[in-house]
Amino acid sequence: MPKLKINGKEVEVPQGSTIIQAFKAAGTDICHYCWHPGLSVAGVCRLCMVQIEGMPKLQIACNTEVKEGMVVNNQSEMVKETVRWGLDFHLINHPLDCPICDQAGECGLQDQYMQFGKYDPEMAEPKVKKHKVVDLGPTVMLDTERCILCSRCVRFTDEVSKTNELGIFNRGDRSEIGTVQGKPLDNNYSLNTVDICPVGALTSKDFRFRQRVWYLKEADSICPGCSTGCNVKVHYNEEGLWRVKPRENKDVNGYWMCDVGRDTYKFVNLKARLLSGKVGKRGSWQEVEVADAARSAGLKLRETPAEGIALVVTGQYTNEEYKALFDLFSGALKSKNIYHWQNNPEKVNEFDGLLFRGDRNPNTKGLQAAMGTFGRWEDLQSGLASKKIKTVLVAGPENQATFPDLKEKITLLAQAQSLIWLTAGHNEALDQSGADTWQIPLKTYIEKAGSFTNHAGKVQSFKAGTTIVPQALTLTEASEIFAGRDLDWNLRPRGLGGPKVNYTTGQRGTL
Amino acid sequence: MSLVKKPSGLANWFLPGILLGMLFTLKKMIYNIFHQSKMETLNYPEEKYQYGPRFKGNHVLTVKKDGSLRCTACMLCATNCPAQCIKIHAAEHDDPSVEKFPISYEIDVLRCVFCGFCEEACPVDAIRMGPEWQTAALNGSKFTYDIQQLAYRPQLKGGVVSVLDEAERHKAGI
Repeated sequence: MPKLKINGKEVEVPQGSTIIQAFKAAGTDICHYCWHPGLSVAGVCRLCMVQIEGMPKLQIACNTEVKEGMVVNNQSEMVKETVRWGLDFHLINHPLDCPICDQAGECGLQDQYMQFGKYDPEMAEPKVKKHKVVDLGPTVMLDTERCILCSRCVRFTDEVSKTNELGIFNRGDRSEIGTVQGKPLDNNYSLNTVDICPVGALTSKDFRFRQRVWYLKEADSICPGCSTGCNVKVHYNEEGLWRVKPRENKDVNGYWMCDVGRDTYKFVNLKARLLSGKVGKRGSWQEVEVADAARSAGLKLRETPAEGIALVVTGQYTNEEYKALFDLFSGALKSKNIYHWQNNPEKVNEFDGLLFRGDRNPNTKGLQAAMGTFGRWEDLQSGLASKKIKTVLVAGPENQATFPDLKEKITLLAQAQSLIWLTAGHNEALDQSGADTWQIPLKTYIEKAGSFTNHAGKVQSFKAGTTIVPQALTLTEASEIFAGRDLDWNLRPRGLGGPKVNYTTGQRGTL
Repeated sequence: MSLVKKPSGLANWFLPGILLGMLFTLKKMIYNIFHQSKMETLNYPEEKYQYGPRFKGNHVLTVKKDGSLRCTACMLCATNCPAQCIKIHAAEHDDPSVEKFPISYEIDVLRCVFCGFCEEACPVDAIRMGPEWQTAALNGSKFTYDIQQLAYRPQLKGGVVSVLDEAERHKAGI
């Protein structure tokens, strides 16, 4: 473990680390573009210049290995000048697109210019014009003018996704990022290139122009898209969630996440959600308060004899919720009919080699650990057919898009006399149910705290980020009510403020 | 210790005060009749005051030479607005050289404090504070100005052309 001094501060880093890693370990700012901890070293941006005692010239920190007793600094005038004019070179052909550019607000160039640059540009020549608004594929837009050729995206497709779509074409100041013969950038990890792009050259089509990033807040969470359990941060504002980005965790997902996981914000937003309790059957629905719906459903559960109740659970809820639910079911209700609804049993063990897994539930392992053994589906089917099972309680899917058999299962379970369906999203198939049905809104992963156990048995806990539907319950709260206890309804979280509107205009009267 | 003095009975007798005031008014009136050029007031609907060129009146959204909106929907004005009266929805334009444009742009003028921060924040000379200051309307809901009102109202005679032209800048290599 070599020791070295960085700006006078002593750090110890593992043998073979580079100076830039030592800077990161010391928590010292260093200007850089092309270096990314998850990718190989390219050394093309020439901005991470440092002065090493005993060396006549400046060295790049990303490609210089540390040695015992090295004395490094990036605070000297020489380094500052070099970085400043290095930035000027990067910005020679960079268009003044910031007003249009989606990256503005989280842009490496803007940040680094304010931190290290602040020069007056000395370039008199006209800028080289390149291609703008290039459609790269189903998820990504490219603007080659904004690109500073750091080659992060190219290295990503070479090294991480191993799909090799992107490359740098042409020479000199006419170099451009692109794909061979217009072949689309179409893989399940393409949006990572948008994340690692330090400028606005690659932008996400899904997020493009929808919000300015400075209006968004961040919350850490765990992706519920599959059993890998990637660490993510969710960007939200008063209107709802807008995007999901990966968060670094070397043990689980490294620095990346898949494109499928990035869609997990969509089912959380108001449009897709069930906003109040619904009680009734086909043609005779009544919207009721969530508390009333849950209370009457609980009454129904407690009235039905133990052998007439069945519980169907999906792997989409937290360990804590499972515990509360199973305590209720095997404790207060004394029933043993618990069935596990696996959405795609034939694909459960699939794995694409990087992150994405066939089991599209975040907590199948946790569910299995909490319960142990489940009833067999055949028993449930025969019980429903022979009318032995009268009341079915379903902890339904939160992310309904990952349940291709949803309609089928609703028709199956609606054979019971009464069906209590706990769900986050509204569902048309459920509205057509012939049984007496209670639809009770649940919270989604971003609105509650808890923990998921991923495919490898790693338990990852997360906090509540924001609240989209304040009246929705967690499974724990629902179990409390089903058991006959009540919640403190004064302690509900505040919901969204809604979009900013010129709000008084509608109430100003008419003539 | 402070004492509250009760007004004497004399104060109840208000006529002298009124007469004094009327006398002052009469004096001013006679003075104004003989010195009309020095009068401070205007006969408003017939005479109108001309403010200086830097006056911050009603907003104008400028247009390009082809008449389309200059605004790029960067939201800097909405971000900078202390009254939070600007509401913009951005969208992708069919023309790749335009790329981003506001599909709706609303200013709630009754909330606006006419500080001019939107004008200052705008990087492309898309919003200006114009000279108009007589803004009457029949009811409150008419005070939310949309694109039609802000850029193409009849008083602007087809729109104010922005000084910053993207095509010219492109040709000049900026």
